[in-house]
Amino acid sequence: MTSRPPNGHFTILYFASAGSFTTKNVEALPAPLPLSKLFATLEERYQGIKENVLDNSLVTVNLSYVDMPGGEDGETSDEEIVIQEGDEVAIIPPVSSG
Amino acid sequence: MQQDIAQQPEAKSVPVLVNNGQDGPNNGTSGVGGSRRLTEEEFDRYSRQMIVPGVGKDGQLRLINSRILIIGAGGLGCPAAQYVAGAGVGTIGIVDGDVVEVSNLHRQVGHVASRIGMKKVDSLITHLRGLNTLPTYVPYGFHIGPQNAAEIISQYDLVMDCTDNPATRYLISDICVLLCKPLVSAASVQKSGQLIVLNCPPTPQGRVDGKYAPCYRCCFKKPPPPSSMLSCGEAGIVGPVVGMMGVAQAGEAIKILVSALHIPSRDFSIPLERNLAQPTLLIYTYELENAVGPYSFRALKMAGRKKNCFACGENSTLTLEGIQSGTPNYEQFCSLPSPTFTLPPDERITASAYHEARSRGEIPNHLLLDTREKEHFSFGSIDGAVNIPFGRLLAKAAAIKREGGAASELLPGEVLGVTEDTPVFVVCRRGLDSQEAVEKLKELGVNNGGKRRIVDIVGGMKAWKDDVDPTFPWV
Repeated sequence: MTSRPPNGHFTILYFASAGSFTTKNVEALPAPLPLSKLFATLEERYQGIKENVLDNSLVTVNLSYVDMPGGEDGETSDEEIVIQEGDEVAIIPPVSSG
Repeated sequence: MQQDIAQQPEAKSVPVLVNNGQDGPNNGTSGVGGSRRLTEEEFDRYSRQMIVPGVGKDGQLRLINSRILIIGAGGLGCPAAQYVAGAGVGTIGIVDGDVVEVSNLHRQVGHVASRIGMKKVDSLITHLRGLNTLPTYVPYGFHIGPQNAAEIISQYDLVMDCTDNPATRYLISDICVLLCKPLVSAASVQKSGQLIVLNCPPTPQGRVDGKYAPCYRCCFKKPPPPSSMLSCGEAGIVGPVVGMMGVAQAGEAIKILVSALHIPSRDFSIPLERNLAQPTLLIYTYELENAVGPYSFRALKMAGRKKNCFACGENSTLTLEGIQSGTPNYEQFCSLPSPTFTLPPDERITASAYHEARSRGEIPNHLLLDTREKEHFSFGSIDGAVNIPFGRLLAKAAAIKREGGAASELLPGEVLGVTEDTPVFVVCRRGLDSQEAVEKLKELGVNNGGKRRIVDIVGGMKAWKDDVDPTFPWV
């Protein structure tokens, strides 16, 4: 599905309604990017995406779930995750139908 | 055939089996195997799966002594039930209140054309009986809800969520947490599917002293706004995509029962060994655009139970009694916060008023934007309509906002006679996107400070079909 992002970029995958909202399945964004800036970066590009998609989605970095910093979870770890060049980030909204 | 089904226990009179989830599977024998000999029929029927390493006679007996509840007899439930029945799970309960429709048949493989109009549970059980007469099939021909969910779920060892809406998904997960039942959850819409095993091995609510399996709320804390939630009826669904998820769901369920992972651990001083190695979310994406592209399965590592989870976390106040008396309110939880648009009346026109105005020549020169997806547009449209799918319109609008550029770029470029003050009418599928589109166009100044009218057609093409042209091919 994805090839390596260009130098200085990470890959971001948009699943289900994230794909409909952005009208794409995948793109490359500039790295490094602190995880805490991810939603703001996306909101700037896709106005409304935070409220409609991101706030309800889970996020993975390199195929592993990450807690979003600054969430209401209170379970965020002390060290800030920074998305690095070549990483693969995925936005996974819940799907309900069947 | 129908009579045969009617002899099954009436769902509404099922005995209430109280299980607070602390005492292991309900009667102490269900699902744990036992050591009887297999009958000759069982031996012949199940030999091909029994000889697989890891199954054996013990595994098969565990399947035979187990009770699975499949909630939803649709695109996921049909293939899931088919494999669960084939594998010989002893009791299979199926919950669904719908009847078979012709639009189900491309994916719901347990139903056939001759059973259109029949209750889905009865149709599916007819199909399953044709496959394997040994299991006991229990039909529940109504929808599951806060009133009946605990009573039904308490009688099973494992639950498969094959439903189609967020409110029911949260309800089922909550009940499974409270009753200590493993939940195999799958979902699918359009071109993608998800599968995750939740609450397995089952762990009592509130235990957070180790690494335990997550529940649905640990993964998806809040539901998406309903406006962004697509149903199969609205967004469509590719048959093999949902079929694949249903089959994978059956695979996980069989695996759990064969290995007895569904039995709640009694001794939490030996915590980790019995836990599934890693909670995993399987995602399947099917790309119609790249027909020969790579297959897209992704297995994502999930976190375990969240300490502060509303349902299973340490200070959870969720109870069976609460759920039954309406707390939490699932419908409300899943219908907030919906941006309800109500444009002022002068920015709206009904489908029939628009039609009349056109016929009377009152709006000779105007632009009609149809914001449905291009597939919907391809079945038919109002004469002169120009298709700009809503997603594309929003993306363009965001780009203009971000990078600057003329707002007029939002409108189709080459329509003859369109000037700065040509009125714009916007129509969508049901009348919600079109209102948002009107807002967006105004916000970016397409209305030229009020010189140009931008008008929403109330109720979308659905209203056009209902009130103007009944032959219109609306999906």
